[in-house]
Amino acid sequence: MKGKKLGGIFLIAVLLIGLISGCSSQPSENGSTGDTIKIGFLGAKTGNVATYGINTLKGMKLAAEEINNAGGVLGKKIEIIEADNRGDRTEIANIMQKFITKDKVVAVIGDPTTGGTKVAAPIAQSNQVVLLSAGAAGEGVVEIGDYIFRNTLLDSVAAPITAKYVIEELKWDKAALVTSLNNDFSVGLSKIFAKAIKELGGEIVIEESIQDGDTDFSAQVTKIKEANPEVIIFTGYYTEAALFLQEARRQGLEAKMVAGDGCLSPDLIKLGGDAVEGSFVYCGFSPDQPTAETQKFIEAVKGKYNEEPDMFVAQGYDAVKILAAAMEKANSIDPKVFRDALAQTKNFPGVSGVTTFRENREPIKSPVYLLTVKDGKFTLQAKLPVKLEQ
Amino acid sequence: MFFQQLINGITLGSTYALIALGYTMVYGVLKLINFAHGEIYMFGAFVGMIMVTTFRLSIIPAFIISMLLSSLLGMGIEMIAYRPLRKSTRITALISAIGVSIFLQNLGILIMGPATRPFPRSIRSYYVNLGAIKIDILQIIILIVSIILMVALHLLVKNTKVGKAMRATALDKDAAYLMGINVNRIITITFAIGSALGAAAGVLIGLYFNSVSPLMGSMPGLKGFVAAVLGGIGNIPGAMLGGVILGVIETLGAAYISSAYRDAIAFAVLIIILLVKPSGIMGVNVREKV
Repeated sequence: MKGKKLGGIFLIAVLLIGLISGCSSQPSENGSTGDTIKIGFLGAKTGNVATYGINTLKGMKLAAEEINNAGGVLGKKIEIIEADNRGDRTEIANIMQKFITKDKVVAVIGDPTTGGTKVAAPIAQSNQVVLLSAGAAGEGVVEIGDYIFRNTLLDSVAAPITAKYVIEELKWDKAALVTSLNNDFSVGLSKIFAKAIKELGGEIVIEESIQDGDTDFSAQVTKIKEANPEVIIFTGYYTEAALFLQEARRQGLEAKMVAGDGCLSPDLIKLGGDAVEGSFVYCGFSPDQPTAETQKFIEAVKGKYNEEPDMFVAQGYDAVKILAAAMEKANSIDPKVFRDALAQTKNFPGVSGVTTFRENREPIKSPVYLLTVKDGKFTLQAKLPVKLEQ
Repeated sequence: MFFQQLINGITLGSTYALIALGYTMVYGVLKLINFAHGEIYMFGAFVGMIMVTTFRLSIIPAFIISMLLSSLLGMGIEMIAYRPLRKSTRITALISAIGVSIFLQNLGILIMGPATRPFPRSIRSYYVNLGAIKIDILQIIILIVSIILMVALHLLVKNTKVGKAMRATALDKDAAYLMGINVNRIITITFAIGSALGAAAGVLIGLYFNSVSPLMGSMPGLKGFVAAVLGGIGNIPGAMLGGVILGVIETLGAAYISSAYRDAIAFAVLIIILLVKPSGIMGVNVREKV
C-alpha cells in the first residue's frame, strides 16, 4: 500500500513539474535596471500557429542584436521578453498582464494572428503600452485604440490585387470560396475576396466552410467538385489547407488553390506534398529578387539561423526597427511620447517592403508578393505594386 | 454525389468506430471512461510514423510494433494512474484520466514538437473507380480493419476464458475475485487490448489523413467517445455502429444542411438519440444503484 501511495505522490509531483515548467518559459528579471528597453514578444512557440510566432521572434532577435551591437537606442540596449501563448486566448491575456505589470515593457510586438491581437489590444490600450502586431492582417485591429499598430500586408490591400491577378492574368473566374469559421482572419479575408471577385466580374460558384483543427474535409470537397470551379480560394491556415487539398486530389478535384499569407509556411508543402503544387499564396515578403538591403538581411538570417527568412521573420525584424526609429525620433522610450512619432512613420524602408502608416494607423506596404509552389518550393510569381491612395 | 457523400461518411465513421472500440472495451470492464484513450491513439500514430520514417519499416511491422508499444503504455497508465485509485470514487479515476490525457498531450508537444507532421504514404496509391465515384484503397482498408477488429474483439469477449473472466469482472469485481479470478491481471489485459486498438486507429487514421500531431487525439477522442455512447457504451458492436452512424450523420449534415453546422448537427442527433434511448442504440438498460 505504501509503495502505491508513494507512486501516486511521485506522479502528482511529475505532473506538477510538467505544469510549472510548461508555464514559466523564461525567467524574468525583476526590477528593470533602466538601461534596457524591454519589448515583449507575444506569439505562439507551440501549437497550431507556432511557425508564425517562432519566426517572428527570430526576426525580432536579429534586429535587436543588430541595434544593440550598433550601440542600442538612445544609449540603451533592447531586451526582448519572451513568452509562449500557445495560440490560446486566455493565455494571451495573461501574458499581456504579465508583460505590463511585472516586466514593465514599453511595447509589445505581436500577436502574429488577428484573433490574438484583438485579445491583446484592449489590454495594451488601457495601460498605454504600444502594441505593434507584425502579422495581424484582418479587420478591426487598429480601431481598438491609438496605441495599436501593425506593420503587415493588409488583407484589404492584398486580396483585391491578388483577385485581380487571378481573374485577369490567370483567367480563372469561377471560384470556390472556403472559409474556416473559427478563424477571424479567414472570415474577414473571405469577405474581402468575395467582394473583390464580384467587382471584377468573377463568380463564386460555391461557398463552403471548415474549422481549424478539422482533419476530414471529404463532405466539402465532394460538394465543391460538383460545382466545378476553376480555382479554390482558401482563406484559412496552412495545416488545414494542406489536408484540404489532399482530400481534393483524392477525390479528383484538380483546381488550384489561391490563399492568403496564412498559408505561407514550409509546412504547407511538407504536409501537402504534390497536392499543393501550383498553389498561389500572397504575402508581404519573398526572398526572391531582393533589393540590396533585403539581400543583407537574408544573409544575416542565413548566418544566424541557417535558413532562408520568410515573411514573419522579415516583419518581426522590421517591427523592432520601426519601433527603434520612432524612439530615436521622439528621443524618448516612454510609450506615451514615442507613440506619436510611430504614428507618423512614412516610407520606412523595411526588408519586407516600404511601410507607411496612414492617419488611421493602418499600414500600406508595397509591393504585394504573389508566390507559387513549384517543385516543392515557394517561388516568386509576381510583384504586384500597391498604389498609396488605396 | 449522394453515394460519394455516403462513402465519405462511412470512412469517417469507421475512424470513429476504431477509436470507440477501445473506449467501450475499457468502460465495459471497469466502468471507467478512459479519457487518455485519445492520447494513446496519438502515441500509436507517432510510433507508426517513426517506424516508417526513421526505421524504414514497411507499414505492417510498423503497425504491429505500434500496437505492442501502445499496449505497454496503456498498461503503464493503468498501473500508475488508475490502479491506486480503484477503491476511490469513480469521479477520482475520471479526473485522473483527464490528467493523464493532458500530461501526455504536453509530453508529446515537448518531445515531438507542436507542428503537424506528415505520415508518409507507405501503401501504394490505388483508387477504385465506380463511375463518378472514386474510392481510395485506404478507405476500404480502414473499414475492413475496423470490422475485423470488432469481430475479433467480440469473439474474444464471448468465447474465450479471458473473455469470460472479463465479463465476470465487469459484472462484479469482488465476486469475480472470490471466484479465483485474478482481477488485476484481467484489468491489465483489458487495458493492453484497448490501447492496442487505439494504436491501430492512430496508425490507420494518421496514414489516411497524412498527418500526425500531439493534439490529434483530443477531438477524434471526443468523437470516438460520443460514438461509443451513441452505440451503447460497453457494447462492442454498438461502438462500431455508433461510429458509422456518427460519421454518416456528420457528413450528410455537412453536405445537405450546412458545413458550418456539421458538429452541431452531429451532437444534436446524439442528444436526441440519448433522450429517446438513454442507454444508446444497442445498450441494455441496467438500473444502477447510485
